Amino acid sequence: MNAVLTLEGLCKSFGGIVVADHITLELERGHILGLIGPNGAGKTSLFNLISGVVPPDAGDIRLNGVSILARPLYQRARMGIARTWQQMRLFHTMTVLENMVVAPREYVAESMLNLVFKPRALRHADEIACEQAMRILERMHLAQCADSLVMDIPFGQQKLVGLARALMNDGPCLLLDEPMAGVEGQAYDTIKAVVRQEAAAGRAVCVVEHNISFIKDLCTSAVFMSFGAILERGSVADLLASKSLTELYFGA
Amino acid sequence: MDYFYSILILIGIYVVLASSFNLIIGNAGLVSIAHPIFFALGAYTAGLAAIYFGLHAIVATLAGGVVAALFSLMMSLPSLRVSGDYLMITSIGFQLGLLQVIKNVEFTGSQGGLSNIPTPVTGPYRGLVYSVVSLAVAATVVWIIRWIVRGPYGRAITAMRDDELAFLALGRDAMRIKIVIFAVGCGLAGIAGGLYAFYYQYVSPEQFEILASAAMLTMVVVGGMGSTLGPVVGAVLLIALPQAITFLELPPAIMAPLQGMLFTLLVIVFVFIRPQGLISPEGPTPLPGHRQVNRGGPR
Repeated sequence: MNAVLTLEGLCKSFGGIVVADHITLELERGHILGLIGPNGAGKTSLFNLISGVVPPDAGDIRLNGVSILARPLYQRARMGIARTWQQMRLFHTMTVLENMVVAPREYVAESMLNLVFKPRALRHADEIACEQAMRILERMHLAQCADSLVMDIPFGQQKLVGLARALMNDGPCLLLDEPMAGVEGQAYDTIKAVVRQEAAAGRAVCVVEHNISFIKDLCTSAVFMSFGAILERGSVADLLASKSLTELYFGA
Repeated sequence: MDYFYSILILIGIYVVLASSFNLIIGNAGLVSIAHPIFFALGAYTAGLAAIYFGLHAIVATLAGGVVAALFSLMMSLPSLRVSGDYLMITSIGFQLGLLQVIKNVEFTGSQGGLSNIPTPVTGPYRGLVYSVVSLAVAATVVWIIRWIVRGPYGRAITAMRDDELAFLALGRDAMRIKIVIFAVGCGLAGIAGGLYAFYYQYVSPEQFEILASAAMLTMVVVGGMGSTLGPVVGAVLLIALPQAITFLELPPAIMAPLQGMLFTLLVIVFVFIRPQGLISPEGPTPLPGHRQVNRGGPR
C-alpha cells in the first residue's frame, strides 16, 4: 500500500453540529484526492483535524503507519503535514520572502540559545532557506515580488504565496484548502501546474475545492462530503455523474 | 547637578523598562501590562539580597534579573495559553496579586517599603557614576533587543504576532518562543529594578501599581510600538517633559495633575494623529542577497 496518511473512524462534533462522522480515508503517495461537497460539509474541519488545529472526539490519524493523535499542531507540521488556508493567513507585515523563510520544517533560529551559540549555523540556515524559497517563488512566477510586502501585492498573488509558503515544508503530505477561490488567469494555471508537480514528486495531496473543472483536471479520485460524512467516493467522473450528489451540491 | 544626574539615571532605567516592555508587547504582540511587577521583583530581590546576604550590587542586580525572569514563568506558563484581552486580564491579576503579597509580608518591609538598601558608591561622584552605569546598561539592553528582533529570531516573532495559527501550522513552537520572550523581557525589567533599588536605596510597593503600567505603555505607544528606537525616544520624552514643566514654578497642587494630564493627552493625541508612534519599525535585516525593504510603519 502507498498510504501516507490514514484516517480511521474520525469523529468530531461541536455541540450538536457534526463536522466529522466516522471519516475513514487514505491519502496515497503521488495521488491528488479531491474533497468536494456543499458549504458546511466539514471539508475544512477535516483539514483542521488532520493538521491538529482541533482534536477529534474519536478515531485515529496515522502518518506512515504511526499515530500522530497525541502530537500538537506544530509537531505534525514538522513531521511533514503541510497545509494552506482558505483565507491565506499570510504574515501581513512581512515581505513575501520573509513569509517563506520562516516556513521550513526545521527552523534553527527558533531557539534563542542557537541565536547566541550557533550564529554560523543560523546564517547558513538562512542562506539555505533563502535559496529554497527563491526556487519555489521562481517556479510560481513570484520571484519579482520576493521583496514586496504581502499586503502590497494583488489577491491572486497572495493566494500563490500561501501555497508557496506551504511548499517550504517538503513533507509527504500536502493539504490545500480552496487554492482556487478568487483566482483566475495565469495564477490559476500556475497553481494547477505546481500541484501536479508536487504529486508527481511523490507527495500525497488533498484538495478542497469548489471549482469542479479544477478537480476534474487534477484529481485521480475524489470523495463527496455532506454534513460531516463521506457520502460517496470514486473517480471524479463517477461522482459528477451521480444524480443524487449533484442535487445535494447544487440544490437543483 | 545632582538633580540633572537623577534625571539621567531615571532615563536609563526607563529606557530599559520601555524597551523590554516593547519587546513583549510590540514585537511579540503579547498584551501583558504586568511589566512593573517584574521591575518590582528585581528591585526587591536586589535590595533584599544586599541587606540580608550582603551581596555585591552587581551580583544582586543580576539576581534581580534572574528572579524576575523566573517569576515570569509563573505567569507565562499558565497564562500564555490565552492571548489578547484574556492575557491582559490575567496579567493585571498577576500584578495586583503579587503586589498584595509584597505589601503584606514582613521581610519586604510591607506597606512602608524596603529602606536602608546599602549603596555601593558614595562620595561626590555618586550621581555621575550612577548616571554612566544606568545609561551604559540602557544602551546595552537596547543593543541586545535590536539584535534579537532584527535577525531570524525576530522574523519568527513577527510572524507569530501577525498570525499565530498559521505560524504553528508551519511547524513553529510558538509557546516556547513566547515563554522565552517573556523571560528575557521580564528579566531585563528586573535588572532595571536592581539599578533603581541601589540608586534610591528605598523601594516601596505603590511605585509599581497600574499607574506605572500606564507610564510604560505611554512610552512605548508614543515612541513607536515594535521599533527598537521608539521606546528610547518615548522614555526620554516622558521623563524629560514632566521635569520641564517643573521649571514653570507652578504650585504643587496644580503640578501633579498637570503631569498626569500630559501623559493622557499625549496618548490621545498620538492614537488619533500618529498611531504608529514617533518612530516606525525598522524591520528586520535584509536576507542574504536582498535589499532593505521600506515598511513605512503599520498601515
